[in-house]
Amino acid sequence: MTAPIPSAPVLSVRAMSKQFGGIRAVNNVSFDVHKGEILGLIGPNGSGKSTLFNCILGQLRPTSGHCEIAGRSTDGVRPADLSLMGVGRTFQQLSVFPRMTVLDNVILAGQEHEGTILTRLFGRPDAGLTDKAKQLIEFFRLTPYLQTEAGALSYGQQKLVDAAMAFMAGPQIVLLDEPAGGVNLTMLAHLKERLVTYNREHGTTFVVIEHNMEFVMSLCTRIIVLAQGEIIAEGRPEDIRANPLVIDAYLGG
Amino acid sequence: MAEFIQIILSGLAAGSIYALAAVGFTLLWQASQTINFAQGEFVMLPAFFVLVGMTVLGLGLWPSVALALVLSLLVLGVMFKKLVVEPMLPHGTLPLVIATIALGLLLKESVKEFYGATAQPFPPIFPQEVYQVAGASIAAQDIGNLAVSMLAIGGLQLFLTRTRTGRCMQATAQNPAVAEILGVNVKRMVMYTFLINAALATVASVLISPIYLAKFSNGETLGLVAFIAAIVGGFNQIRGALVGGLLIGVIDNISAVYISAQYRSAMPLLLLIAIILFRPQGLLGTSEGRSV
Repeated sequence: MTAPIPSAPVLSVRAMSKQFGGIRAVNNVSFDVHKGEILGLIGPNGSGKSTLFNCILGQLRPTSGHCEIAGRSTDGVRPADLSLMGVGRTFQQLSVFPRMTVLDNVILAGQEHEGTILTRLFGRPDAGLTDKAKQLIEFFRLTPYLQTEAGALSYGQQKLVDAAMAFMAGPQIVLLDEPAGGVNLTMLAHLKERLVTYNREHGTTFVVIEHNMEFVMSLCTRIIVLAQGEIIAEGRPEDIRANPLVIDAYLGG
Repeated sequence: MAEFIQIILSGLAAGSIYALAAVGFTLLWQASQTINFAQGEFVMLPAFFVLVGMTVLGLGLWPSVALALVLSLLVLGVMFKKLVVEPMLPHGTLPLVIATIALGLLLKESVKEFYGATAQPFPPIFPQEVYQVAGASIAAQDIGNLAVSMLAIGGLQLFLTRTRTGRCMQATAQNPAVAEILGVNVKRMVMYTFLINAALATVASVLISPIYLAKFSNGETLGLVAFIAAIVGGFNQIRGALVGGLLIGVIDNISAVYISAQYRSAMPLLLLIAIILFRPQGLLGTSEGRSV
């Protein structure tokens, strides 16, 4: 994999802190993510990675610090409008709409980016997105389930639908929240292979929060390790694996 | 046989009107966890809006129906959502249920106070003719009621499955948090649901009042029947509410003729008990977990 060319970072987190009462869940965290990178964000339970993720996604308001997407501040941007800024995301909990078909799920993920109240009511039912949705469904090899209700799929397949939905709006960066959680090994290998392929073909940047070390180590180009709300290590997977601080805080713990 | 066909058909006609109320009931539940125990009064009230248009304002029937539709959208749609559901919902489902029971009483007593306690004749929408088909007497009104109800429910189903807005409404009902993140205007979708419920109630009211006359207490039975129909069919499915409504209409008619007229209103309750015991998710419903 080629090293990313330094340019304006796709995601820039600056001095971000989040305090809950007396507890500092995230403490003065700064990092940049450049185009085409796959950044892993790891750390033991309670290290603050989910809090950090939620602050980046606008679902929690940071106590201090801020975040930029391609140079634009996300201050005061609603979670719903982040996707307009080119941010896609997958969810830790299942996020598909169980009684809608896979095709409808994926179309929905892209359809609200344009249109007026009238085109929403009387315009084309698929907003012209059927072909694009089918391509993504094919990319994740879900074509046999195109017209299946998403709730009838296996957990791993639903995770793939979730991933397809995250790419529907053509994001610059996709934040994946524990994509490997609860997914069996075969499906996991498939998911990883698809994500890497997508990254290579489209240059889309990923930030991945994950517990599954093997998955993170083999997927990511760079890894940031959090412990007690602070960055304790940052580097290539092989360096992280050998870092005594990390072994102490996480791998050995 | 001719009599049986007659009974089934008029049962379907009545049942299709129950289905309108039941469909609205399930939509509100799905979109906003509102169990609307004033649903019967929602069907009772628009008939009085029509009567006010005709007797007080001197309008014709159809302009009065249009007026009733507008008033229903405002009162039973917008005001119900803004003044009852939104303030109560943060306190939980049960307080909201109790608020809708209070609202039902308020609507009922207001109509009694301001319009009258006696049953009011309501102009028929369809010709009062009865056709003889293969020995069975078939009322034009039954056919008309069945057709209009089916068109309304079919149209709603098409709207929900074949438009962008419909897809957003489904998404809002199934997973509002994620729908919002995907850019769906969840608040607007919930408002649409309340407006659709008000419109369905208006249609049901205009169809059923020529048969039962317009009376302040009509909502008592209608609300109960709509509730039972929704549970019997399955609370999370439009087609469930449709099947539940039709089934109750038919069972009601059959039991009145073949079992006992005295016990006819007990039959839907027996059906309700049987369904809750043996198939709690309803005939067509799917069981669902809801985290709160």
